This record gives sequence, structure tokens and C-alpha cells, in this order.
Amino acid sequence: MMISAYEKDVSWQAGVWAIVIHLLLLAALLLSFNWKAPQPLLNVAEVELWDSLPQSLPPLQVASPVETLPPVEVKEAPPHPPEKVEGQVLKTPEVDIALEKKRKELEQKKATEQLKKELGLEQKKQLAALQAEARKEEMQNSDKLLKEKKANETLKTMQQEALAEERAATQQAVATDKLAKSAASAGVVDEYRSKIQTKIRGNVNKSLCATASPELKFDIALLPTGEMTGLPKLLKSSGNKACDEAVERAIMASQPLPVPTDGLAFSQFKNLKLTFRPND
Amino acid sequence: MTVSVANDMSIFSLVVGASLPVQLVLVVLILTSLFSWWYIFIKLAIIKRAESSAEEFEAAFWAGGDLDKLFDSLGSGLRKTQGMASIFEAGFKEYVRHNQQPRMDVSDVMEVARRAMRAAYNRELDNLDSHLPFLASVGSVSPYIGLFGTVWGIMNAFRGLSNVAQATLSQVAPGIAEALVATAIGLFAAIPAVIAYNRFASSVDRLSVRYESFMEEFTNILQRKS
Repeated sequence: MMISAYEKDVSWQAGVWAIVIHLLLLAALLLSFNWKAPQPLLNVAEVELWDSLPQSLPPLQVASPVETLPPVEVKEAPPHPPEKVEGQVLKTPEVDIALEKKRKELEQKKATEQLKKELGLEQKKQLAALQAEARKEEMQNSDKLLKEKKANETLKTMQQEALAEERAATQQAVATDKLAKSAASAGVVDEYRSKIQTKIRGNVNKSLCATASPELKFDIALLPTGEMTGLPKLLKSSGNKACDEAVERAIMASQPLPVPTDGLAFSQFKNLKLTFRPND
Repeated sequence: MTVSVANDMSIFSLVVGASLPVQLVLVVLILTSLFSWWYIFIKLAIIKRAESSAEEFEAAFWAGGDLDKLFDSLGSGLRKTQGMASIFEAGFKEYVRHNQQPRMDVSDVMEVARRAMRAAYNRELDNLDSHLPFLASVGSVSPYIGLFGTVWGIMNAFRGLSNVAQATLSQVAPGIAEALVATAIGLFAAIPAVIAYNRFASSVDRLSVRYESFMEEFTNILQRKS
């Protein structure tokens, strides 16, 4: 605004100071308002699900205290009785009998311990074998998963080719948009966009969309949880009302939709324009 | 996945995620804040300069030297005199000019000098008062602008939730946090403006009292002289 002549010599300095103050405010906001809440993962108990050896594990755990605790008692016990015995050797032969009994008991205990140990070893061997089997199964499962992933990836590439035009349009929008300057966030946006489309595609009743390659456009408003804040708006109809309704039902059925957890990337999904081709 | 939603909120993502009216409000508030801080620093420098120059001039004036010499030393500097010196200059110039004319009565000469000093005084006060109305209106209005942005943002946040059966805190919280940023920026603009306005207004008042008392005293001295 108006700066009179007598203020001109200080105005530059004052402007610099004002900018410095605002940069300080920005820094303070960025530092203190970084709401990185402690990840709830720390409180969540992790559970592993095992298909095999549900019964072989508990005996081992039960057996181990039995194995470890008694020997200590047994080893401490012998030194005491002999002392008493030496003083009373002639008087009471019954003590010998008692001693013999104790020895027999000890031997029996040792035998049972050995048996138990052997049993434990066998159990351990069984366990190892079972674990090896489990690992093999896991390996096989992971192979299957890998194959599925590869299949999914090929599917994705197919879809990406099909969506090349729309991609170009979104990239233009992104380029004009201040929000998504970084290429990384654009990649995340595309990734989740294709995730959303595959999820909806799974729920579409394709028999209702008989024509060659109908194209629909929907406007969807999303919450951070992946739910919609209203009904999807049809921007471009396929020309077939039944097909439009089928796709709309599919969108409703596939809630919650996959959305990025990152707040900055999610801001692109608040109002999502989705182009959809059910027959591709 | 849904557990960690909205845990990561930086101020940047809040601003970027806000709706267009809220972003406009934020832009307006940041601009007014920049201007008000600019004026605050300008006024700080100007008022400080006026106070120190008044100090200097009073010391020179009451040192008891010849007024003609003082007037010459002020006029010798090429730059325009400011503050108390300019009042003295205007009054003394008129006094000298009219005192040389024999027809003028003493009271008339005094009246002329007084008018000249009054005019210079008003000019000085006008300079000192500049930008203070802007600071006052920023201090009183910018909280309301921020509040408008907040209300708009919260309205949007709740309207979006109207179709959701069970609204959880994690769905409501980001919208409200976004909206509250507008209030925060509004307060950030308002608080310094109010403080600066009050401080500058009292400094200008004290300076004006100082100028006025100098005018009275200088009139007395001139009357004695003639």
C-alpha cells in the first residue's frame, strides 16, 4: 500500500524482517504440528496361524518344567540322609531299608527321567520334521502367492495400457495441481486408482453391460477410511441404464475402497473422478 | 490399514487438503499478516527515529545558544527536517519574516508563527499516525476472517459425514483440524497487530504531547524576544 517518502529508507529492512517472522512461524508450525502419532502397531498383538502341529507343542512346554525342576530336589536330597544314617547304623536297620527304598525310588526316577528325555528327544525330532514340512508348505504357498502376484501384475499392466488416455488426462491435472509436484505421490495416486478399479471390477455384473466397450465416468467422494460420503455421481453414462446401475451397485458393494494412508496423497482421493470400462 | 488412517497430519497436508474457500481465507490472512508485520517494523523504526531526534533537538534547543545559529544549522542540512526540528523551523521562519516588517503588531507576529507551527505539527502527527488504522482493523477483523474459514471447513466436514452410518473420530478429525488452521492463522495475524497498535498509539500520544509543550514554550520565548 502507500509508503510515504520519509518511510522509504526503512521499508526494505522492515519487509525483510516481516518475511523472516513468517518463515519462523512456518518453521514452528512444521516442527510442532507434525502429528506423527505413535504407531498403534506397538499395541497390536501379532498372531501366527499354524496349520500343522497344534498338539505336539503343548506337551513339550508341559514336560520341560517336570524335567528341569525335580533333579535339583533329588540331588540335594541324598547328602542329608547319610549323615543321619551313620549315627544310627546299629540301632535301626529299618533306616537302611528306608535308604534302599529311597535309592530305588531315585533309580526309578532317574529311569523315568531318561525315558522322558528320550521321549522329549523323539518329540523334538517330530517337531523338527513337522516344522520342516510346515516350511515346505509355506514355501509352496509363497510360490503360489508369487505366481498370483505376477498374474495380478500382468493384469495391472493390461489395465494401465487400457487406461493410457485417462492416465494422460490425470497427469495433466496433476501437473497443473500444486499438490502433486513429486513424482512419487503421483505414482501412489496411480497405484491406488488402479487398486480401486480392480476392486470395483470384481463386483460388476458384466452380463448387464453387453455392448462392445462402454465407458462410464463416476465422481466419488471418499473419506480417509475408504468409505464414500454419498452416492457416486454418474458423469458419463454408458448409454445402457442397466449397465450404469450395475456399475453403481458394484461401487457401493466394494466399500471400503483402498485409499492411501498418507494424508497428502489422500487429498487427491477426496473427490475422485473414475473412468470405468467394465468389458475390458 | 484403517487403524493408521489420519495419524500422519502435517500442517502442509492440512492446508493442501482444505477446501477452496478455506484456502482463500488462508491466503488472505497470510497476506494481511505479512502487511501488518511490515507496517509494524516500519512504525517501530519511524517512531524510534522520531523519539531520538526529539531528544537530540531538545538538548540542542535548551543548551541556550543563539536561535539564529540553531536555525541556520538546521537549514544547512540538505535533507528535510523532521519532528520537533521542523516545527521549530516553520515557526522561526515565519517569526523572522514578519518581525522585520515594522507595521506588524507583536501579537499578530506571534499568531502567524503559531499558525505555521500548528501546521507543521499536524503534518508531523499525520506521518506518525500513518498505518495505525490498518493495524487496528487487522487486529479486530482477522479473527473473524479466520473464524469464517473455520466455520466453512467444519460445515463441509460434517456435510460429508451426513451419509455415513457410523461416523468415527478418525473421519471427523481431519476436517476439523483443517478448518482450525484458519483460526490459528487469523489469531497469528491479529495478536501482534493489536499489541503493536496499542503500543504505537501510546507512543504517538506521548510524542504529540511533547511537540505541543515545545510549541507553547517556544511561543513564550519568541514573545520575550520581540
